[in-house]
Amino acid sequence: MPPATARRPGNGSGPARRRRRRQISFDKASFFAVALFLPLAVYVVFVISPFAQAVYFSMTDWSGFTADMAFVGLDNFARLLGDDKFLRAAMNSALLAVVVPTVTIVIAIAVATMVTVGGATTGGVRGVRGAGFYRVVSFFPYCVPAIVIGLVWAQVYDPSRGLLNGVLTGIGLDGMADFPWLGDTRTAMGASMFVIVWSFVGFYTVLFVAAIKGVPGEIYEAARLDGAGRFRTAVSITVPLIRDNVRTAWIYLGIAAIDSFVYMQAMNPGGGPGYSTFVISQDLYQTAFSKGQFGYATAMGVVLALVTLVFAGAVFLVDRITGGRDDVRGHA
Amino acid sequence: MSTNKFTEGRLAQAALDRRTFVRGAVATALLAPLGGALAGCAVPSGGSGGGETAAGEMSADNPFGLVEDADVEAVIFNGGYGFDYVEFAADEAKKQFPDVTFEVSPSTQIAQELQPRFVGGNPPDLIDNSGAGSIGFNTIADQLEELDDVFDAPNYEGTTIADTLYPSVKDPGTYNGRFVALNYVMTVYAVWYSASLFDQNGWTAPATWQEAIDLGAEAESAGKKLFVWGKEAATYYQTMALDSAIKEGGDEVRLALENLEPNAWSHDAMQGVLEALHEIVQKGYFVPGGAGTQFTAAQARWSNDQDALLYPSGGWIENEMKDATAADFRMTGFPTPTVSDSPAFPYEAIRAGAGEPFIVPSQGANPAGGKEILRAMLSAEAATNFSETRLAPTIVRGIVPEDGFGSTALVSQTGMLDAAGENIFNYQFVDYYGLNADQLVVWNAFLSGDLDVKGVTDGLQKISDDVAADDSVEKIEVS
Repeated sequence: MPPATARRPGNGSGPARRRRRRQISFDKASFFAVALFLPLAVYVVFVISPFAQAVYFSMTDWSGFTADMAFVGLDNFARLLGDDKFLRAAMNSALLAVVVPTVTIVIAIAVATMVTVGGATTGGVRGVRGAGFYRVVSFFPYCVPAIVIGLVWAQVYDPSRGLLNGVLTGIGLDGMADFPWLGDTRTAMGASMFVIVWSFVGFYTVLFVAAIKGVPGEIYEAARLDGAGRFRTAVSITVPLIRDNVRTAWIYLGIAAIDSFVYMQAMNPGGGPGYSTFVISQDLYQTAFSKGQFGYATAMGVVLALVTLVFAGAVFLVDRITGGRDDVRGHA
Repeated sequence: MSTNKFTEGRLAQAALDRRTFVRGAVATALLAPLGGALAGCAVPSGGSGGGETAAGEMSADNPFGLVEDADVEAVIFNGGYGFDYVEFAADEAKKQFPDVTFEVSPSTQIAQELQPRFVGGNPPDLIDNSGAGSIGFNTIADQLEELDDVFDAPNYEGTTIADTLYPSVKDPGTYNGRFVALNYVMTVYAVWYSASLFDQNGWTAPATWQEAIDLGAEAESAGKKLFVWGKEAATYYQTMALDSAIKEGGDEVRLALENLEPNAWSHDAMQGVLEALHEIVQKGYFVPGGAGTQFTAAQARWSNDQDALLYPSGGWIENEMKDATAADFRMTGFPTPTVSDSPAFPYEAIRAGAGEPFIVPSQGANPAGGKEILRAMLSAEAATNFSETRLAPTIVRGIVPEDGFGSTALVSQTGMLDAAGENIFNYQFVDYYGLNADQLVVWNAFLSGDLDVKGVTDGLQKISDDVAADDSVEKIEVS
């Protein structure tokens, strides 16, 4: 090596360049093999090919317990359109996709703002007193597995022995005694959504805190000097500057909300009163494993995947229409 | 579940680097749902797997021709009855076949766990296909061994097994004329109460619905309720209603329901029961909020707190609530109340049937081994062990002694079976067509007071009608 390096200045002659290229191509080759082709192969075998198979299965009448299946074309999808239970589940999933991310993000931004830039209005820009404590506490729910959250909250909502009704009757709301939060069509969905939001807020708070910390403090100082209050600062400064994070959070939360399987299965395995909390993933699970209709269930899975893709696309579209392409930071 | 893990994992990683995070978002948005929604599907391997079925010499001691040094695998649903009673039976079989290896493993998700093995053609040799995650029989019935030869074989005491059993235990496991599922546990459906509590208060078990309503009034003055229900078990009240209606109206009611006939739920006998139940709901004799209560928590309010007097259930209830039953409860069962004083079947008639279906897949490596474990289970040692430790009768007669191994519930089960004599009936349409999940929704609404008698009738009828109209579902004709 040293000779080659020594010869390089002013000597772009054949052998040296060839040698250099050969060395690099060996590096490249091994790099590509390890970092690209191997993961790609794993990806194709374990991700792409199951997807392709699933699309095929969705066009068969496979029961799931034999190796035989007949091709039925798009019959399963046609059947889905007339399946009241599935349509109900799809509506519920859509409702979750709209409400859960919106509420979670609003709360998370509010908390993140308070613990980073919402503190005293004199002195340097900082969070409220005890900000570190609030940050840690708000993150707690995220450390608990979803299934545990679901089971714990099912107990909290218990009509007679639950914590919630205990507190409500304790403060004098006797009408709440024995009220079945998860068993009443008016409250089951709301109560379930609350739990999902509760479990996600902490993580997104931390995410937004990190994003806000990346915004130069001078911007906030300038805004304050111009007389902007906390709310105005949050809406006009914080949100535009962390826009990318918000969009990404929206997509992740939407995906989690459209699925919601663990929470719903833990709190209302039967789909809730009048199927008010029944979601597509639960329908898929029942159809596949209880009814032995894997072909039909796979069709539900394909539709679920498409719904999620449409959701992600819609978020990007809305972001773009509302001016997400302008990089605010570029002008700042 | 998988989606969540997947998403969380990616999030945690990506959060380290904001640029990667944003870029990764698009990719993840595309992949996460697909991963979650589709990952559950196993891939058929072409079905050429394991299936070399070994055969040994058949003899009186070895009725199924089990090979001397075979490996036998059993997967047992680990629910209310546990799974170690099958280990006990396997140990008994091991005494007969010292060189055979028996492996008994538990599962709580039979369908999920064994689905790939059925597809791959290498299922275990014996399965207890039970629980909420069981495999629907209409999907696997034709892949199972017929089990008539198990009943024709001698047990370890030398008596032909068929001669030691309760009548018609083959019926619930017979699909399209093939007896493929051996239901091991004799389940008696009844209404249960605390004999000690009733004695203290001078109450008696109600024989008609009018008596039940009167008892509800007395319960109320004692600060208690008549019934309690939990959201996953609301259909226990359907079972009670069906039993009562069948007793009132006779076989025509049962056959109309079993064959999914139009207006089956509108039969006078069924309407009589529903009206009585509706009155009980309206009078507030149910512990409120059941639609939002987990079912074992609800059952504990009856067995432990004694807030409710009665609970309809199968005979498994004593074992299920063993750890949540008040001291000196003396759990006792009585036959479902009747609508009138002159029902078609006498008051003593009960629904009883063999449950806990054991199956032997034809593609297993050693079907003979699966049958051998069943033979051991039906012999005196293992059957006694089951009844004694699980406090439930098996399909083997004459195993439970007078004192019911100290269990009042077990004594009353055998007592009810004896009193019913020939008047034992059973029905299967709910399980066979998998109707329970949909019916639960209707029953939760009815018991909450959100549906009237017409509402519950229409809701249940629609569930039956939908299945009847679905050509893709194979029907069983019951007569």
